[in-house]
This record gives sequence, C-alpha cells and structure tokens, in this order.
Amino acid sequence: MSTALSRGFGQARGVYAIWLREVKRSLRDKGQLVGGVSRPLLWVLILGIGLNPYFRGEVYGEVRFVVPYTYLQFIFPAVIVLNILYTSIQSAVSLIWDREFGFLREVLVSPMPRNLILLGKVLGGATTAVIHGCMVLVVARFVGVAPSWSDIAQAIGLMFVLSFGLTAFGIVIANYIRGFESFGVFSNAVILPLYFTASSVFPLDPALTRAQTLVTYPEWLVYMVEFNPLTYAIDAMRGILIDFNQFDPAFNFQVVGVLAVGLFLLAMWEFRKV
Amino acid sequence: MSSVETYPEGLAITVEGVSKRFGRTLALDDVSLAVPHGTVFALLGPNGAGKSTLIDILCTIGRPDSGRALIAGIDVVKQPLAARRQLGVVFQETTLDTRLTVRENLSFHGMVYQMGRRERLTRTDEMLELVDLTDWADSEVKTLSSGMRRRLEIARALMHRPQILFLDEPTVGLDAQARARIWDYIAALRAQQDLTVIVTTHYIEEVDACDDICIIDRGKILAKGSPDALKSQHGSTLLKVTPRSDEARAAILARYPDAVAGAESQLLIQMTATDSADAILAEFGNQLRQISIDQPSLESVFLSLTGRDLREAPPVSRKARRNG
Ligand SMILES: Nc1ncnc2c1ncn2[C@@H]1O[C@H](COP(=O)(O)OP(=O)(O)OP(=O)(O)O)[C@@H](O)[C@H]1O
Ligand SMILES: [Mg+2]
Repeated sequence: MSTALSRGFGQARGVYAIWLREVKRSLRDKGQLVGGVSRPLLWVLILGIGLNPYFRGEVYGEVRFVVPYTYLQFIFPAVIVLNILYTSIQSAVSLIWDREFGFLREVLVSPMPRNLILLGKVLGGATTAVIHGCMVLVVARFVGVAPSWSDIAQAIGLMFVLSFGLTAFGIVIANYIRGFESFGVFSNAVILPLYFTASSVFPLDPALTRAQTLVTYPEWLVYMVEFNPLTYAIDAMRGILIDFNQFDPAFNFQVVGVLAVGLFLLAMWEFRKV
Repeated sequence: MSSVETYPEGLAITVEGVSKRFGRTLALDDVSLAVPHGTVFALLGPNGAGKSTLIDILCTIGRPDSGRALIAGIDVVKQPLAARRQLGVVFQETTLDTRLTVRENLSFHGMVYQMGRRERLTRTDEMLELVDLTDWADSEVKTLSSGMRRRLEIARALMHRPQILFLDEPTVGLDAQARARIWDYIAALRAQQDLTVIVTTHYIEEVDACDDICIIDRGKILAKGSPDALKSQHGSTLLKVTPRSDEARAAILARYPDAVAGAESQLLIQMTATDSADAILAEFGNQLRQISIDQPSLESVFLSLTGRDLREAPPVSRKARRNG
C-alpha cells in the first residue's frame, strides 16, 4: 500500500474518532436529550393544537384556510427544523467547552490536520442534529402527516445538509464567544429570531400576489422572511413532507446546499486561528 | 518527509534563539538549548518563567516569534504534523475528556494518532497496565482521582510510541504519595532507553534525579547542566534561620541585606567565604527560634541565580492567572 493511501486511511480513522466522540457525548448528555424531546412536544402539543382551529383567515370577504392544511401539519416540518437548529448550534458550542477544559489541545497536538478535525466535529454535530430531527419525524402520523419512505429518505437527506451548515455556522459563532453564559444570550439573539422570521409559524399567503402580500404584512417582515435562508430550508422540508411550497423547490435546495458549503468554508477559515 | 534518523549528534531537541512575546510580556527571551537523546531533562523555574510557553512551541501549538526549534530533527514550524508524531505531551492542565471512559480516552488518542486497530487494542492494555489503571478501564474519567487522571494522561501520551515525552508540571496539585508514584513511572520510562523526557516542575527536590537541568526565569535561561555541576558552580551553603520576633528579623536583615524571605517566616542567608555560621550565632543566637545549615543544594543554586526562593510561590493555573 502506498504511504499516501495509508495516510488517507489513518486520517479517515481520526475523523471517525472525532465524529464518534461527538455523537457519544451528546447521546450521554441527558439534558440535551430531554430538550430534544420536550421542545418539539411543546411546540406541537401546545402551539400546534391550540392554534389549530384558528388557522384560517378572512381574506377579501372570503373565509377559508389560508393554506390547504391544518396548522399542525403546517408547523410540523418547521418544528423538525427548529430541533435541528438547536441541536446543531448546541453541538458546535461544545467547542467552547473543549477549549475551556483543555480537550481541544489533545486534538490540536495530534497529527490530524485542522480541516479534518473541523470536519469530524461538524459531521458529529450534524449527525446528532439529524437524530434529534428524526425524533420529531417519528410522531408524524399523530399530527396527520403521512410521508412515504422515499419522503422520509429525502427529509433525512435534507436534514443532514442543513445540520451540516448550521453546525458550521455554530462553530463560527463559538469562535467569538468567550465563556458559557453567552450561549443563553446567543440562543435568544440568534436562534429564535432566525426561526420566527423563517415563515415557520405563519405562512405568507401563497394565494396573494406580491403587492397584496406587502399590503397584508408589514414590509420589513416580508423582507426579513425572504432574506432569511432558514425560510427556504423550512419550505423545502414542507415540500417534502406535506407537498406545500411557498417558494420554488429547486431554489430551496440550492439555498440549503450553497449555505452548507459556504458556512463550512467560513468555519475552516475561522478554525485556522483557534 | 525528512528522515527521523538525521538529527544532529543524537539530539532529541534543539532550540536556537527562540523568543516569544505576549503583548508586553516577553515570555521567552532568546532561549537556546539542546537535549541529548534518551535523557531526562528538567526545566525548573518559578511561575511565569516561560516553561509552558516553551513546551507549547516545542509541541507545535505555539509559534515562536523568532528562532528555530527541532524535535528529532524536524522543524516544528515547517513540519508540524511530522513533528507531532514524534512527541507525546501531558499539558499542565488536564486535557482528558471526563465524560468518556478511561479506555475511550486511550482509544480516541490511538485513532487520532492514526494507529491501526489491532495495535491500538494491545497498546491500550499495555498502557493501562503500565500506570496500574487496568481495573478502571471502563470507568468514566470524572470518577477518577487527580493522581489517577495524571497517570492516565501519561499513559495516553505514550500510546503512539513517541520518541519524546513532555510533562508540564506532572505532579502539581498531587499529594506526596501520588507525586512519588508519578516519578516512579518516569524512572521506569527512563530505563526504556528509547525515550527522551522533558519535565517542568516547581518542586526542586524532584529534579535531583534528572540527567540535566535548565533553570529558567522571566524567559531567560540562567543555567544549564547536570545537578552536580550546577551545585558545584552556583551552589552555596545556605543558612536558614527563623527569627523569634519582628525586631530580630529586622536586625538580621540590616546585617545581611541579601537575606531572602523563605517559607514559614524563615530567612535564607547565603554563606560566602568570609561569613560563618558562628558569627551569626554569636550575634543573633538568642533571638533565633531555629537555625539550620544546608550544604550546597539545587535550592541554593536557584536562590543564587534568581535571588528568590522557589518554594515561596505556589503554582497558579494559567486559567486562574488569566481570569484574575
Ligand atoms: N496566552 C497568553 N497570553 C498572554 N500572556 C501569556 C499567555 N501565555 C503565557 N503568558 C505569559 O507569559 C509568561 C510565561 O508564562 P508560562 O505559562 O510559560 O509560565 P510557566 O513557567 O509555565 O509558569 P507556571 O509555573 O505558572 O506554569 C507569563 O508572564 C504569562 O502570564
Ligand atoms: Mg506552566
């Protein structure tokens, strides 16, 4: 075997080790698991069921469902994305722990190139996030969402690409955070606004023209929704799970894909100086 | 890749004119040293001397501002990945993952050092045996005592068969028994002639057993040599007196302005050729609670080189220092 090939194998093993550690740690972290289960339950049970009867609107004198789905069906794909968003960022923030408690040095002094260390870390975070996304997917039947096996496969694929990008995003952020207190601030200042302005809990009525939309909703909100990349991830997830799209499905996937690659490159740039 | 065998005249480590500055602190000031292959080399110095900074540079985590450092003939700045394969490190602050088990920590290390599966498994068992942690293999690290954690870190640093082992304050914060045990392991490793050990410490009594010592303070190397050579060059007879009262203390200090404060309100007086213990006893005898005369020791070497008693200052963790 050539040395280049055996080195390649060795490094793949190193990436696997870093990935495995991430996954083991998060599966052993009871707090994270509890959050991963209770968060979607709250959203689905309280918000979803509570708002279900009101999810119709009177538009131009006509009472009808704004979108041809129940509210539960409508927010379900968004709740999956919410769980992924939280878990990805939480995994990335464990980088702060590793730095603070020294473990990062053990990895940085090993013969693993930095980019591969980062890759292992991001793949590990993404895997955990996909697991948390699947925990939501399990209850699909109970909210009236009935994906086929191929839908499920597509949903998992989308989850993975999205988680990959979001974990990379989290790493970029973690690089600027000193200390743990900041995570609370961070989740309030970034995660929730990002989620709420992603057309997650309310639709932009697809029956309206753009001019009508701008009259119905404040202009700034429409722009925020359109500017927020998470909008397209949630829309893609809806397209897969309930066949409802507010935007062009091809464009959705492009946004998610470009974001994953772009954010990973950005994380690579940041990780040079860790 | 450069061959491992080509390092000059059997030197495991060569440092040439290395300097490193953090803001206004010059942590290392034109440091040069050479460590022969197969020896145990001690870096001795008080807090903030620059020991950890030097170790960070040697293990490729820190970058020198100027100068050059070679590990087994490999330049640590130009070929960091190749250099890392040759070295094992136990950092001053623990770098274990406390949520993984003992075995998982070793196994992780083996994998990121790209060891094959079979070798990893046998080596894990060997290392556990070496540091007497076989019974703890499947316990989570957070359940281990600090002495056991230190031993695990040494085992882990040796997993991938490095040529050079760095131990940054391996015994700090441990009780006397655990410290003695760590030094037993270092002695055992030394017997395996293939390993070079670089150890930093505050505890002067620990370095007598090393082959070479380098005394470093404020980023500068003050002296290098074997313990005996240092003692005969820089050592002096040391008189340790404990005054009965503050007045007595002031009087002694007035008479011997070079006296240095030691632990437990002691005063340390270095005897020169003209001083004699008799003179002090005659003059202050009734004002002393205690007096002892130490033959030239490394402690007196340190004192005469730095003008300070090494025991005075307890080690502070880097983190505490940064936050404080
Ligand atoms: N990352 C850093 N940023 C700023 N200053 C630093 C940094 N690391 C070290 N220093 C400073 O450089 C000097 C040398 O520190 P170093 O940690 O190398 O000392 P040391 O000999 O290991 O001390 P100790 O025995 O306390 O571990 C100190 O003044 C320290 O405050
Ligand atoms: Mg130190």
